[in-house]
Amino acid sequence: MSRRSRLLGTLTAVGLCLPLTMCGAAANAPPAASPAGGAAPEMEESAPKAGAPAQPGYPSPPPPPGAQPSTPAATSSADLADAPQRRAAARAEMDRAQAAVEAAAGDCSAACRALASMERAADHLCDLGAGDPENQRRCDDARRRVTAARERIKSACGTCP
Amino acid sequence: MRFRLLVAIATCALGLAACRGEGSTAGCPSAEPAGTPIAAPVMAFLSAARALHHEADMHEKSGDAPGAIGALERLVALQAPQAAEVNEVLADAHARLAELRLGRGDLEGADRDVGAGLQRVQGPTYFRGHLLEVQGLVEEARAASLSDAGRADEAARARTRAMALLEEAVRTQEQVIEHALADGGQP
Repeated sequence: MSRRSRLLGTLTAVGLCLPLTMCGAAANAPPAASPAGGAAPEMEESAPKAGAPAQPGYPSPPPPPGAQPSTPAATSSADLADAPQRRAAARAEMDRAQAAVEAAAGDCSAACRALASMERAADHLCDLGAGDPENQRRCDDARRRVTAARERIKSACGTCP
Repeated sequence: MRFRLLVAIATCALGLAACRGEGSTAGCPSAEPAGTPIAAPVMAFLSAARALHHEADMHEKSGDAPGAIGALERLVALQAPQAAEVNEVLADAHARLAELRLGRGDLEGADRDVGAGLQRVQGPTYFRGHLLEVQGLVEEARAASLSDAGRADEAARARTRAMALLEEAVRTQEQVIEHALADGGQP
């Protein structure tokens, strides 16, 4: 997988985490009147049910057949109790994703900086070796390395600034 | 670029400090098992280094190379705590000093700074590669100077050294790029 793909994947993870965090915040907020009456029931559907502990950041499984449907008041209490944990888990996931994004960007930045130094060194090497066949071979080798490195960076990060 | 590097390092250090100060360690690098908190002396050093690079930038912008050299000499004379980041900052400062001295024709001074910088960084790192690049430029300038003085043999030897150093710089930076982009290098 290319670095760019990983970066996109991580950004997607961050994007998925954000609504979860906001969702957690909403769950922790005092109940508000919903004009359409749609938002509150959606929150309740994803609330953990008794006997089925919720995975942080994931919707809970449906209740087992025959299980007593929880009352709105009980669901609301469970929501309120679990919301801080879910919010903390979502935040931790978002922090990890952000760290991964920053690490990937940092790696590309480091690679670009090294490429610039490589190009400068190769330019000087070729200037010094001009006119001599053996030195020309060394120049060509350096140029090949620079080209390969540039292609490697391009495929992983895109073009350098 | 150096300023941006220092800003990044200082921001990282300050971020870590703020992270620790919040009470919660969730998401803080120092909360990870392998994480190492950045010590206050290191943060102080990085902050001072950043300020001195900024001062050198201002001198350079106004065409005052000796002023820039003076600021960087104060940087490399700072009491340096033991830390990898500190060694990299010092290596980078020595590289910048060497370039400034080279620009003023002080080849011996540039040589000394390159040597001091290389002592700070081992293995294939950008900073080592950059120092090798600058050392190659110093030898290139020496070759030109010797050639102008009619000392052809010495000039040829300096040119040979320059080419070897520049080749080494290319190979070092090539390794740096491979490592930065390798899947195994992922944190």
